[in-house]
Amino acid sequence: MDKVSGKLAFTADLKMAGMLHGRVLRSPHAHARILGIDCSKARKLTGVRAVITGLDSPLPHYSVAGQPVLDEQLLATEKVHYIGDEVAVVAAVDPDTAAEALELIRVEYEELPAVFDPRQAMLPGAPLVHPGQESNIPHRLEFRRGDIEKGFAESAVIVEETFETPLQYHGYLEPHAAVAGWDAGDRLTLWIPMQSPTLGRMTYARALGIGEDQVRIIQMPMGGAFGGKLEYRLHVLCALLARAAGQPVKMVNSREEDFQAGLPRVPMQMRIRLGVRRDGALAAKETEIIADSGAYVNYAHGIMLSASHRHDNLYRIQNIHTRAFLVYTNKVPTGCFRGFGNPQIHFAYESILDLAAAKLGLDPAELRLLNSSQPGDFTPHGWKLHSCGLSDCIRQSVEGSGWKEKRSAPPSSGRFARGIGLACCLHVSGNRTFLPFFDGASSFIRINGQGKATVFVGETDLGQGARTTFAQIAAHELGVDPKDVTVSYVDTEISPHGLGTFGDRATTLGGNAVRLAAIDARQKLFEIAAGELGADQGDLDVSEGVIFSQADPKKSITVAQAAKLGWARLAGGLVTGHGVYTPPDVSMVDPKTKYGNISCAYPFAAQVAEVEVDRLTGRVRIINMVAAHDLGKTINPLLAEGQVQGAVAQGIGYALMEDMGVRDGRVINRSFGSYNMPRIMDMPPLNSILVESDDPNGPYGAKGLAEPALTPTAPAIANAIYHAVGVRIKELPITPEKVLAALREKDQI
Amino acid sequence: MVSPGQTLLELLRDELGLTGAKKGCDGGECGACVVLINGQPVNSCLVLACDLDGDAVVTIEGLAGEDSRVIMESFVEAGAVQCGFCSPGMVLAAKALLDEKPDPTPEDVAGALVGHLCRCTGYLRTVEAVRLAARSLAGRRGRGVAAKRGCADCREI
Repeated sequence: MDKVSGKLAFTADLKMAGMLHGRVLRSPHAHARILGIDCSKARKLTGVRAVITGLDSPLPHYSVAGQPVLDEQLLATEKVHYIGDEVAVVAAVDPDTAAEALELIRVEYEELPAVFDPRQAMLPGAPLVHPGQESNIPHRLEFRRGDIEKGFAESAVIVEETFETPLQYHGYLEPHAAVAGWDAGDRLTLWIPMQSPTLGRMTYARALGIGEDQVRIIQMPMGGAFGGKLEYRLHVLCALLARAAGQPVKMVNSREEDFQAGLPRVPMQMRIRLGVRRDGALAAKETEIIADSGAYVNYAHGIMLSASHRHDNLYRIQNIHTRAFLVYTNKVPTGCFRGFGNPQIHFAYESILDLAAAKLGLDPAELRLLNSSQPGDFTPHGWKLHSCGLSDCIRQSVEGSGWKEKRSAPPSSGRFARGIGLACCLHVSGNRTFLPFFDGASSFIRINGQGKATVFVGETDLGQGARTTFAQIAAHELGVDPKDVTVSYVDTEISPHGLGTFGDRATTLGGNAVRLAAIDARQKLFEIAAGELGADQGDLDVSEGVIFSQADPKKSITVAQAAKLGWARLAGGLVTGHGVYTPPDVSMVDPKTKYGNISCAYPFAAQVAEVEVDRLTGRVRIINMVAAHDLGKTINPLLAEGQVQGAVAQGIGYALMEDMGVRDGRVINRSFGSYNMPRIMDMPPLNSILVESDDPNGPYGAKGLAEPALTPTAPAIANAIYHAVGVRIKELPITPEKVLAALREKDQI
Repeated sequence: MVSPGQTLLELLRDELGLTGAKKGCDGGECGACVVLINGQPVNSCLVLACDLDGDAVVTIEGLAGEDSRVIMESFVEAGAVQCGFCSPGMVLAAKALLDEKPDPTPEDVAGALVGHLCRCTGYLRTVEAVRLAARSLAGRRGRGVAAKRGCADCREI
């Protein structure tokens, strides 16, 4: 209700005494040397309290989350690397004065040759984006499994295609924002919408050259994140200004800035060569990926790794050879976005599977069922699939969509043609490889004398309802009403260390920690109650806020009473439960071979899209979607379906509508008017089916859901278009122009 | 108090402390800043504060009556609220729609909300929420419970 009534305060809504407003001066050039910066006029403007450039004082090179190539600086010192790169920041008494101050800063640039196409940037002799490095390829990988030559030799059908996916803007309704303030003792507090306060604290302390314990991050409610609100420079720049000005500073991106200088999805060019045996078994797969990092690596190395190997665990395939290159270009730095490399590679993989199915004369659903991973599988990458509902997802989405009749319907030759397509995917529930020295989650729960519980956990709510889920889990174990459970926002001063919410980890890892903490708290309550009631601890149970003896139910006290007694005996300390969850049997990947079981539970999904293609205009209309998701166990159906619906909407945008339009390094579509995200009339009817495969590791069997939910959408649509009109669009977004061009080309053959 | 270039959105947020209206794009494309001006939903980022003279402006903070509460609860119950950033604007637009069309079709709802972007929910539940609100409000009116339409349901500052 706080949200609908407008009472919930987001970061941009915060007001503090003496608060200043900050703005960023950004580079207008894609690649240029900085010859000089003159801030004298800006500093003299009435109302300006601080002006900082990279030339004022040495700023260390840093990276996010321990990525080994330190290619970032808070403000440009020698060069700017993309249009939007941060050059200077100002803080002033109001936003207008800050904007005026930006106009008064004179920067002298010497433009340098720039690279925009990763294939060009890879060539020897290409302009170096970061001259301290040998090339524009900060990360590369290669691995082999099985015997690829043998696999191709055994193949009856070999298909090879190259696919391309573009930048995708997160489109959270709340633009990036930050409020920073320092105390008299040199400790920083940041009020930020931040998916990982813990990671932020580490990275920002390093970027500022101070100790981690000097940084306090208070997580603010988020107006959407989807991966785009992890580490972000604006947070630290705000801190720099607050320190220089000696007053709190607020900074909020304009929407245009957010388009130019956010961290959009990593574009990829993916070539796949796939061999399939006569009996339909996948025999061999050769893959080459070129991933566009933009001006800085950020998390793109992890995204490239994810795109390189995760999909290999979706179907049973033994013979694999993969190479991937992460390449710098003078464009907006790319980063995490829901799916983390999976939407990109699954677009390619699921498209090429349909091509193979067509050549073999096999139904695409049949081909997938023949090869599906199964529960108990131990894959060539070392993944242990304790639960796997993939086959159920395929069958149920196929049944729920009228697949059989629609696949065998005679093709239409008229203006409108209908088609139906399927795609599958998998994901992780938490990813061990994110941070070498830490994984897992912890939680503590305090119960007050009124029997109300407060949960502290390190996994953040991005708006998706993690706090509701955690409250449900805690309430379930404590035997109280979820309404009596509050889940605290993350504050690094108070909350237990937790990685935060990304990698689809919140329910599985955070949820398990909350579950354990609640069980611990319950035990402590039982200990107190046992003494009071003169009963045996093992005999007690709790329900609806009442602890009772199972042998003699008349012996009972309320949770509140027990908690109050406990409080009295603990000299004011509240009854507190602790829970720590480390996912069992997970490991980092081997740095060379990329082999390793990186997660304790893997969710699976299958989606079927039905489309109608207008041969006259090339427009594709989605008539129906069926999405079947194996999430292990449904803890909250309303929230779960909400994730599927929201994700499918993003998938539809990715597939058909969203194009940032970069030309010569400039983002052309910098507003919602030209960057088309799905609106209310763009949504088709959507049937979500939640498949429960009961994972042994997840809390009550639950696995992740929210990230994979968008991955199958684009390939399902592409496959449906192929079924409808026989054209294969290999580049997203699938615009009417591309469809028309492909139809014309097909007609000419 | 009002400066010439100040938008209604800025006036509300910066001067009057009414932060329920959000600055999502400052260009009239996302609907997060919608308020009701004389009963009609308007993007407040596109209105100059000094252009208003004698007009009735209702923000989300002004929706305090029972009907409004029903609408808000319908959004929550239907699962149409995730991050909540777009919600105040949507609720105001829904109020304006229901004041004019107490029994809207899904097409009516889509038409009323096409100017509102939501990145979290995928909109399907939003349509359900408005229709649920319509049914609940009709139920209240049917039971003869005082039903105020339009600005009479709003609290004045």
